[in-house]
Amino acid sequence: MLDLFPSRDSGPFGRRLKRERGARLPVTVVTGFLGAGKTTLLRRFLASPEGQGTAVIINEFGAVGIDDALVRDSAEETVLLGNGCVCCITRTDLQAALRRLVFDRERGTVPPFSRVMIETSGLADPGPILQTFSTDRALGGEFHIDVVLTVVDAVNGEAALDTAAEARKQIILADRLVISKTDLASPATVEQLTRRLQQLNPRAVIDIAIAGALDPQRIIQPAMNERGGFVAEAEHDDGIASFAITRETPIEWLTFARAMETLIALRGADLLRAKGILNIAGCRGPVVVQYVQHLAHPPVELEDWPDSNRDSRTVFITRNISEESVRDLFAAVESLAAP
Amino acid sequence: MPATETSPLTKGYQPVTWNFKLLAHDMLGGFGGMGEGMSVQIAPDGRRIIWLAHESAPKNFTAVDVSDPRKPKVVCQTDLPHANMRSNSLETCGNMMAVAYQTSKKDLQPAGFELFDISKPEAPKSISFFDCSGPTSRGVHQLWFCDGEYVHCASGSRDFVPTNPSDDQFYRCIDVRNPSKPVEVGRWWMPGTRQGDNVMPPTRHPIDKGFRAHNTNVYPQRPDRCYLAYIDGGMFVLDISDKANPKKVSRWTNSPPYTGFMHTIVPLFDRGLMLVTDESTENNAKDWPKLIWVLDAREETNLVPISTCPLPDHTIYAKAGRFGAHNIHENVPLPTAWQNDQIVLGTFFNGGLRAYDISNPYQPKEVGIFMPPAPPGAPTGTIQMNDVFVDERAVVYAVDRHIGGLYILEMDF
Repeated sequence: MLDLFPSRDSGPFGRRLKRERGARLPVTVVTGFLGAGKTTLLRRFLASPEGQGTAVIINEFGAVGIDDALVRDSAEETVLLGNGCVCCITRTDLQAALRRLVFDRERGTVPPFSRVMIETSGLADPGPILQTFSTDRALGGEFHIDVVLTVVDAVNGEAALDTAAEARKQIILADRLVISKTDLASPATVEQLTRRLQQLNPRAVIDIAIAGALDPQRIIQPAMNERGGFVAEAEHDDGIASFAITRETPIEWLTFARAMETLIALRGADLLRAKGILNIAGCRGPVVVQYVQHLAHPPVELEDWPDSNRDSRTVFITRNISEESVRDLFAAVESLAAP
Repeated sequence: MPATETSPLTKGYQPVTWNFKLLAHDMLGGFGGMGEGMSVQIAPDGRRIIWLAHESAPKNFTAVDVSDPRKPKVVCQTDLPHANMRSNSLETCGNMMAVAYQTSKKDLQPAGFELFDISKPEAPKSISFFDCSGPTSRGVHQLWFCDGEYVHCASGSRDFVPTNPSDDQFYRCIDVRNPSKPVEVGRWWMPGTRQGDNVMPPTRHPIDKGFRAHNTNVYPQRPDRCYLAYIDGGMFVLDISDKANPKKVSRWTNSPPYTGFMHTIVPLFDRGLMLVTDESTENNAKDWPKLIWVLDAREETNLVPISTCPLPDHTIYAKAGRFGAHNIHENVPLPTAWQNDQIVLGTFFNGGLRAYDISNPYQPKEVGIFMPPAPPGAPTGTIQMNDVFVDERAVVYAVDRHIGGLYILEMDF
């Protein structure tokens, strides 16, 4: 379209945005194993001023009971919560639930919410939820995941991590980790759990919820703003690895895109998540990219860099793909692209 | 009893602030019924002053110091000489301001425009008055004044007898290079609207609002063009390279089947696009849909509508006051105005202020809404957002038509 109607105000990726999500609705995904304290955290958040105007979606895969007074009548799919909030339970199709909420907002049948919280079931793998928001054809044009937050129970967290692959994946894919119920566990147990979480996901900041409460800003503030977001190096069980690739000089977009296309074509299923802030040659601001398995978010150029660091930084979370392989791939594509 | 937010009249209608941040709200001393003239001046002492036209008497214009947009301060508010007139439109250029005067009936005074020296914002000094009154004239509804040399306006005239009384205002170009002696240098009207024309008068629309001029925008990128909205006549691109003899280049109209009242044309020169707005003038959305249209203007003689900015469900808004498009930020060619061809900011009466991303002009996307609660005493029980201006700092100013005064905002998208 820019070929037909060019604009000096836009870059190669369209209008430069103040922030990654642009005008899209911010989404926080709250995951955590059964009984970890997700609902308590959510309820406290909704009662705070920051929680005003939140649409809550309880993504109830399977027959997981919601022990929550928030949702009094589960026969009603959409429930008004007060404080300008709305709640909706979906058992199957998250996309349909989100689209219906947007439609109802347009029609004025639900309050004009300005934020979405998705509480997943304890058994949920967050991967498919992240994919739901990946492309414009899905929900990426309307919504943007600001934070994936995983709640871990201090008492039972270790055991869940030992026995359930889903619990480990919830930790690995999180932007932030919250340890709950620390008042019920010994300091030694909490310390051991913290070490385990850091080992599984060194990128994520770990917060402690006191009696189920957490600074509301920690629930909604985009994780990208945190320095730790691009520092990662870890090997896990299950063959999952996370690593960051940085580069000091500007990179050609085609080189980066071709390398990622090759990685996705060959090993998309094992590219669990990748997120980068790139210094693309010819762009004024940084270009933010996100990938979830085979799907790529449309790249976004920001108006300004967040700080003085102009390095390109990309974090990969992969399964059975080594850091060395990805580095070699980028080096090979670059040498072929610029003979 | 006026409707309120909770009355059945406005059921389903709820205030929304989405991707805008309200910095300040000023009721302008109880005279917050604002028109469609907004212009920012940097005064000689460095203060940033926004000059605002009023929708109706008793006030003429109001100046607000917005140097700190979080702390606006009214520095000047003037009165009209009588209640049967309004100064709906104004523009500033440097330390000069032009103010339009339109009377409620024909043959009243003063009808025309007045030039002011606004070097001292607290004490505007009249320089001259250009008379446009006459037995068939209500004076000037709207004016455009950005180059310090010419006022382009929608005006009647003593010597202009329209074929229909509603068609009294047409395009006039007034030379103000000597501000104390403004002189008309050219005019153009839609053929058939003046008695004596050799073509038939236009066929009236079912909602007949008149075939007459509204906005008369001229930009330095094309000083030889006037982008002229003509209410029920649609819009015209005029060749004004010879100001004494403006000539029609092209015309585009959407009515019928739409309901007329074309209001503003904003060309986006770099992109070969054009924004065209209608104005909603009927209460309770009777003239729905009133839209912002996006035209492919790469070929100015063949303007092609390619999209409209999406409106919300009109049934929610069809209950109190007007609903639909009106003014947009016009990229006024002044150093104090925001220049942008990616975002459209428009006012929609009870639909509030809305922002659209038109980076893909085939699919404008709503990116922000500011629909504040009804200001105290609002006769419709809702906001009636009337006009919007964005300064070069990207600070957004929006005004209510009835009582709410000035809202100052930041875009957050």
